[in-house]
Amino acid sequence: MYRKITRENLKKWLTGLKAQAEVLAPAKVNGLWTYTEFNSQELLRGFQNTRLPPKGLFLESLRALFGWKSQGGSLQLNPLSSLDGQRVIFGLRPCDARALRTLQPVFAGDYPDVFFLQNLSRTLLLGLACQVQCEGSFCSEMGIDPQDSADFDIFFREFPEGYIARIITDKGNILAGESAFEEASAEEWKLARGQIRGRREKPLFDLERVQVNVLEYFPDENFWRRISAKCINCGICTYVCPTCHCFDLCDLQMPGQGVRFRCWDSCAFPNFTKMAVHNPREEKWRRYRQRVSHKFNFFHQNFQTIACVGCGRCVVYCPVNLDLREVLLEVSR
Amino acid sequence: MNQRNEFPEGKNIYQPHLMEIIEIIPETGDTKTFHIQFVEASLRETFSFLSGQFAEYSVFGEGEATFCISSSPTRMDHLEFSVKRVGRVTSALHQLNPGDIIGLRGPYGNHFPLDKLKGRNILFIGGGIGLAPLRSLIHNVLDNRSDYQDITILYGARSPQDLCFKYDLEAWSRNPLVKMITTVDVGDKDWKGKVGLVPIVLEEIRPSPDGAVAVTCGPPIMIRYTLKSLERLGFTPSQVWTTLEMKMKCGLGKCGRCNVGPIYVCKDGPVFSFAEMRNFVSDEF
Repeated sequence: MYRKITRENLKKWLTGLKAQAEVLAPAKVNGLWTYTEFNSQELLRGFQNTRLPPKGLFLESLRALFGWKSQGGSLQLNPLSSLDGQRVIFGLRPCDARALRTLQPVFAGDYPDVFFLQNLSRTLLLGLACQVQCEGSFCSEMGIDPQDSADFDIFFREFPEGYIARIITDKGNILAGESAFEEASAEEWKLARGQIRGRREKPLFDLERVQVNVLEYFPDENFWRRISAKCINCGICTYVCPTCHCFDLCDLQMPGQGVRFRCWDSCAFPNFTKMAVHNPREEKWRRYRQRVSHKFNFFHQNFQTIACVGCGRCVVYCPVNLDLREVLLEVSR
Repeated sequence: MNQRNEFPEGKNIYQPHLMEIIEIIPETGDTKTFHIQFVEASLRETFSFLSGQFAEYSVFGEGEATFCISSSPTRMDHLEFSVKRVGRVTSALHQLNPGDIIGLRGPYGNHFPLDKLKGRNILFIGGGIGLAPLRSLIHNVLDNRSDYQDITILYGARSPQDLCFKYDLEAWSRNPLVKMITTVDVGDKDWKGKVGLVPIVLEEIRPSPDGAVAVTCGPPIMIRYTLKSLERLGFTPSQVWTTLEMKMKCGLGKCGRCNVGPIYVCKDGPVFSFAEMRNFVSDEF
């Protein structure tokens, strides 16, 4: 089902939603694109993608899990209240939405993490088709169509007069049931699929080959030593990654009270797996090998999907230019 | 748009139960066993676990750490866990006294395969604090002694002072239905048991692999050589079980630390047969 809306009406519509929900959209803050409260800002001029992925809106970089009060010898736990409040995020890209769907089974399953799952269920995802191939990206190689996606509630394509919306979920249908939207045809939707500027003619590597070969390369210490030689263990690749989800549990104790929180951690750090007498991944090449093998094979064995969406952030923000695409190309050979 | 997400009560997977320390047993110079009981009386009735499972223990303000439950599900009067003082949380635990409150999440992980042990000769091989998870299973097996054939326990520590659970070792050596062998790497003038590394003593006592299952836990180096000795004695990889140690935080298969290949040791383990381990354990162990 398709609808269309003019630019001006889209702004009005998003503004109107603020009466019922927190509405987030991309805006430049201190020169960096980020998801922030929608304030009728000039929408999306020059926007490709945010510096940080939206994962932090779901798996917060720091999130309190429960608290306690201690007085004398007694101790009392303070559970947290529910995460209320509906949210609408506009302007998400197909890669980042796929990443959220990729994370979902990790936090669902036998031990559901209500914090992540409530954040997901209370948020409507409004996607936006890409028009430019982002620097460092390889989304097409990862099987993601930058101009179509079913990972949203509503997915928008820009066309000269405004936006054409593909309504995907019931929630999305209710949201777009407002009068500002007009009927649109499948034909108009197809016509709105534009060209991606800077798109490669041929894929950089064959993903299936990567998935198979990475297990064959796994025992090859020299290969991983060479590949990871320039890595400086800064962990920025995991920080900016929309699918990296390793976390730590830590305590903050204040006089008479405390809080346990969950915070991002990284497999790039040497102490991540450090135990009393043994550290299975003390050496850098073992950690780099773990990250690549987990994303491109182990995760798939557990959840039937690759834990990379090709957004290219790790490529662009690596301070030593360790280009994952080059690694994957080598693995695929 | 206005629907409310109810926070399902008691469903915060990260929130522990409060436990009171009822007794602390010093095991060695740096190891203590804690006896703990649920503060909430109803949980004393409903909580259950199986030998080999572990839990996450909280010292509020210091953090959480992972230890196996070292008591047996056949003795549910209270829970026991044993801790060697090595880091932040373990040091904080060692400072606590009876009456103090800690937290417990669990039980987590899989368990020793009691169904595969029934009717078999069982060979327990433990080293140092590695006896803790075996101890849960040993008590479990001894409390249903008639379900099993011969029971042999081989336990080693660096020195007589480093032997854990001395009260259990004494009881087992007095038990006519148990063959108990204790060994130390280096003895002293009062030591009357064996002197020698666990794998070497194992090859001396030459247990038969026929109808037997071996269950081992100890430091990685001991496990490595014990496996080789068992192989020489004719044990097949599916006859040998162990419980793996890996750094864990969540215990729920999410935080990523204990991931080895497609396995999350906390969720898919920690108990594995060596036949299973060969499929995923690499040069990381």
